[in-house]
Amino acid sequence: MLARIATKEFTDTLRDGRFRWSAAIVITLLAAALGAGWKNYRDVKGQHDRAQTAMRDFWLNQPAKNPHSAAHYGVWAFKPRTLLSLVEQGVDPYVGVAAYLEAHKQNEFQFRPAMDATATQRFGQWTAATILQILLPLLIVVLAFPAFAGERELGTLRQLVSLGVKPSVLAGGKALGVAAGLGVLLVPATILGVMALALAASEGAFAVEMPRIGLMALTYLAYFVVFIAVSLVVSARARSSRVALLVLLAFWAVNSLVAPRVLSDVARRVAPTPSAFQFITALDADLKKGPDGHSPDVRTDSLRRTLLAKHRVSTVDSLPFNFDAVQMQQAEEDGNIVFDRHYGALYSAYRRQNIVHQLGAVVAPLLAVRALSMGLAGTDVEHHRAFADASEAYRRMLIKKMNGSMAENSRSGDFSYKADPSLWKEVPPFTYEQPPLVLSMGMQLPSLWLLLAWVVIGLVSVVRTRKLNLD
Amino acid sequence: MSATASLSSRAEPQPAVSPSTLAPAAVLEAKGLTKRFGAFTALNALDLEIPEGEVFCLLGANGAGKTTTINLFLNFVAPTAGTASIGGLDVTEHPLETKRHVAYIPEQVMLYKNLTGLENLDYFASLATGRSHDRDELLGYLARAGLQVDAATQRVGGYSKGMRQKVGIAIALAKRARALLLDEPTSGLDPKASNEFSELLSMLREHGAAILMATHDLFRAKESGTRVGIMKHGTLVQTLSTADIGHADLERIYLDHMRD
Repeated sequence: MLARIATKEFTDTLRDGRFRWSAAIVITLLAAALGAGWKNYRDVKGQHDRAQTAMRDFWLNQPAKNPHSAAHYGVWAFKPRTLLSLVEQGVDPYVGVAAYLEAHKQNEFQFRPAMDATATQRFGQWTAATILQILLPLLIVVLAFPAFAGERELGTLRQLVSLGVKPSVLAGGKALGVAAGLGVLLVPATILGVMALALAASEGAFAVEMPRIGLMALTYLAYFVVFIAVSLVVSARARSSRVALLVLLAFWAVNSLVAPRVLSDVARRVAPTPSAFQFITALDADLKKGPDGHSPDVRTDSLRRTLLAKHRVSTVDSLPFNFDAVQMQQAEEDGNIVFDRHYGALYSAYRRQNIVHQLGAVVAPLLAVRALSMGLAGTDVEHHRAFADASEAYRRMLIKKMNGSMAENSRSGDFSYKADPSLWKEVPPFTYEQPPLVLSMGMQLPSLWLLLAWVVIGLVSVVRTRKLNLD
Repeated sequence: MSATASLSSRAEPQPAVSPSTLAPAAVLEAKGLTKRFGAFTALNALDLEIPEGEVFCLLGANGAGKTTTINLFLNFVAPTAGTASIGGLDVTEHPLETKRHVAYIPEQVMLYKNLTGLENLDYFASLATGRSHDRDELLGYLARAGLQVDAATQRVGGYSKGMRQKVGIAIALAKRARALLLDEPTSGLDPKASNEFSELLSMLREHGAAILMATHDLFRAKESGTRVGIMKHGTLVQTLSTADIGHADLERIYLDHMRD
């Protein structure tokens, strides 16, 4: 009987001109977004690969020079785009794609795609994820609001109830019917999406990304189930289809427009983050003070005394290594402690903000879906942090190697020492692997649970439709 | 070929239970059935028994309680006092089971406009019986209700009221309903369609259905009904057997009651 009701709802939907039009529009937008996403991914990936190769060539082809100069010359680390960023860009457009790795400084990321955007992009990026998160729920609402309320106005609900159909079976059948209608749109869209991903993926990468792709599909499926359930429950209880539509549109607006905005403000209040200027000013002040509050001169003096005593010599010139290089590395490591403290505090504030956002899913399931979607795509702040950490670790390794070479191969006060270009090869090229899935999902647990709760409560409410108002 | 003739040419047993075993028992029964909406009494202590093979016509002005009676039998509204039962089962206690034996035809049979008559019947019939029916069987029901194949395979959006009523009858046939609840089914039908509808009712009655019909049409009530009940302000004031009186008498008695 459930299947019979679902089939009828499905047929009815397919023959509805409004459905055909809106489905055609949505699928066109989705296809366009996927196409654009695929092209953009391919272009950026090409640029990334070229830039990475060029960077490595620059590094290796440095002439013989002082290693510390090489450390100043530095390298650029380019953030690779994840395959699923084709579907979900997440924070990528706002956090920058490249970091300049040089001596003494942990630099902020630069080159934010959003900076190059035209004014129209203020309205948001129409990625596949935006369409799935914002537009599809609207389509579900439009599709499902008359499910009960409309039949009540039409009079067919009396006819159905007079047949002795269980309200819960009717509700379940209608839910399946709406789902089948959506399937007409989503099945081809999914095939298209997977094709775009497979096409864009480099060899073997697609298989690696399979679990993420599958989980992302499940996340959106759960999201749509929630919207179908909410729509049916509202339609069954609303006095008229107008009321049902109004209530559902209000829910949609709160979910996709109001809640994300409000939650951003709440998150900023709960875990304030400094402006870029405040951050840099505070960082510079602390760098001057050093990790223990002593001035750099005091720390240099202390290091000099320690080393002189250790080697039982009276001047740095008598030391068996270049004291200046050792002192620079010491300053580097002192700086790193300060960097870790400041960046650590910044990222932990972001993390707290993120949890506030996710908890907003109590009201708006979109917030859970967005967090999961970005987490799975590897485009959330946590993934950005993982990349930032990896590039910073590489910077420290590189600087240490340069300073070490200078310390070993020259004597104090000798800045004219030139390292052989073979030294550059001793620094491995920078590579970055995305954190494993388990790790990236760990941060999304509140979202996972809240989305699951929405699905369960939604389905239970549909199944528990006991009494249908006839008037 | 009239609908009645086409029916008799088919040798299908219509009632779920043969008339002999249930002959004396009332299929539709109301005992002290009362419905009040606040201070307004829509139906006052109705006692009514309609056995198989009987067409009971409820007559009365608008607001006399005819539709309320039907809504109570369908458990669309809950009674304030008394009981309504179908096939011996209280409709409030067995809301799903009692509906299995009853077909409801309102003034306007509402159907899904995007589906054809055949598809509408298929849907309602399978929900009513819990099983699927093949196309020929369904077309057979529609034909007996007077709807031919070319009309049956059109979308309902373009149907006249009479055609919709026929689909309603076909649903009752497919359901093998023992009881029919009809709420002014002929109002607004042209005389020919109205006559066809009466013939369908006779067919269903002959096959043992118990029929309760609310109507304004005295002529139709005399023609199709076996008994008529006159209602006024929620009370059944008089019950007559149509065999005993002429049309003119019925009209006189009715108008006497309506005079305040």
